[in-house]
Amino acid sequence: MATIETHGLTKSFGDVDAVRDLDLTVNEGEVFGFLGPNGAGKSTTINLLLDYIRPTSGSVEVFGMDAQKHPAKIRERVGVLPEGYGFDDPLTGREYLEWAIRTKDADDDPETLLDLVSLTDDAERMAADYSKGMQQRLAFAMSLIDDPDLLILDEPSTGLDPNGIRTMRETVADVAAEGTTVFFSSHHLNEVEAVSDRVGVMNEGELVAVDSIDGLRDSVGGHATLELECATRPTDLGVGSVEGVVEATVDGHTLSITCADPTVKVDAITYVAERTDVVDVLSTTVSLETLFNELTEGGREGEATQEVVQ
Amino acid sequence: MSVESIFSKDLTSVRRSGALWGVTVCLALVAAMMAYVNVGRAAPPLREAQNAYGLLVGLIGVLVPIVAIIASYMSITGERASGGIKFLLAFPNTRRDVFVGKLLSRLGVVSAIVLFMFVAATAMTVARYGVFPAGVAVGVLAVTLLYAWTFVALSVACSSAAATRSQAIAATVGSYFVLVILNLTFRFSQVVQLVHDVILGLEPDPHLYAAFDYASPYIAYQKAANLVYPTAMERNVFRFREEARESMPAYLSDEVSLVVFAAWLVIPLALGYLLFQRSDLQ
Repeated sequence: MATIETHGLTKSFGDVDAVRDLDLTVNEGEVFGFLGPNGAGKSTTINLLLDYIRPTSGSVEVFGMDAQKHPAKIRERVGVLPEGYGFDDPLTGREYLEWAIRTKDADDDPETLLDLVSLTDDAERMAADYSKGMQQRLAFAMSLIDDPDLLILDEPSTGLDPNGIRTMRETVADVAAEGTTVFFSSHHLNEVEAVSDRVGVMNEGELVAVDSIDGLRDSVGGHATLELECATRPTDLGVGSVEGVVEATVDGHTLSITCADPTVKVDAITYVAERTDVVDVLSTTVSLETLFNELTEGGREGEATQEVVQ
Repeated sequence: MSVESIFSKDLTSVRRSGALWGVTVCLALVAAMMAYVNVGRAAPPLREAQNAYGLLVGLIGVLVPIVAIIASYMSITGERASGGIKFLLAFPNTRRDVFVGKLLSRLGVVSAIVLFMFVAATAMTVARYGVFPAGVAVGVLAVTLLYAWTFVALSVACSSAAATRSQAIAATVGSYFVLVILNLTFRFSQVVQLVHDVILGLEPDPHLYAAFDYASPYIAYQKAANLVYPTAMERNVFRFREEARESMPAYLSDEVSLVVFAAWLVIPLALGYLLFQRSDLQ
């Protein structure tokens, strides 16, 4: 059964379509990473799911219920870490948690939650005085109350240090293992890559790709590059004749070989090693980051293309 | 239960923020001073004590709306501007719960301030004249609460419709000027009279002009006070000539003030609620 389902979902602000004709299905029990550069429409989509904003056209259903007609019923079963929240009331971190537990009619123990997000020592301080990272941890703890059936996290790692990010990742993996559907947005690919079953990539209001991480990787074409440093100038070796080698160039003592897919690399290395002394081997595959940048046309952040050394 | 969740959280935060404590103390001091300076025209103490409340009504008419506005204008706008509303609505609350919870909380806060002010004024009155004019005191308190609530309702309504602090300020302060200050100086009736008599060239109709004045809760409050005053204290609120005073139509009677209050309590809230229901909160 689909936990989240949108059909032809469109939200316009004036002339700008923040989200355009979005058809998205998130299945029960999966961890769905929602990826895209800033301004791609991720938060707008989440705000529509939570009925913070109303669609211009199309429909949003959560647990098979219309998001606009049954917001309270949906909120009973959802845990939310929203974007653009504020802890403005003069309440302590513990009081915020207690308020949230009471409002959800839950029986969670505030101490356990505070401990989970390492806020036990700061529980009696005003949440408004917390650092951004502490507020983010408190908000995360609030989203976990009452063991939700669906956890919606909007840019959850914002402001967190590596420790906080690890805790959050582990916790998300734990709740997902217990059957909670997780829908989270991010503009950090590695974060999504690490925990998601499936990812959806948004760009300029449109969903440009939905697939599993492996599926996405396959769709890149699996291009792999080899750089072989040789003892002598590796000219006229005829490596281009090896099946699956797309291109070979020489620069000084370095021979660069582009392979159609990673399995060809061994053949290419063997071929070259039989004909000359290979001093060093550097092998790279096209990363998801490259794919992400291609899908989002470099993204609005202009993150540099980075290849992962294997 | 979710109205309660919003209500109790809001009440705690208003209580702790401390911004209203100073206002409350100042208002109580002014009210007590008012009761004290109500110097006698050698009338019997009971009459003097009653007059002290009459004087209080004059003060309240201008000051209580300010307190109600200060206490309410940011009630919902503040949550929208700060992002607090993201949490209110992340939990099983509806927009209606937020609206009703905030309204009840601010009505409670302003009622408490008005009550505190009355306790101060009453203590001073009793100390000075040795009598407690219970009828007038309780009556004036009741109509004052109604009057204060109309401004709380209006401010919460403005607050629910305004996305930013400056919009909320513009709407509430603008309302105060039109409804209170304008009626302190020249009145709606003068504008209506001008249009009616001079521009349209119709027969003068002072009762009709007065009806426009009556639409202001400030005027309605003065009229409502007549309902609880002893006959000797009743005031003629409208600026009439003698002959117009003789034949007052039913729609200008003191009782109609309750209808005016009811309209101010219901209409702005209904409009604000509809706008809030439809707006994008982000």
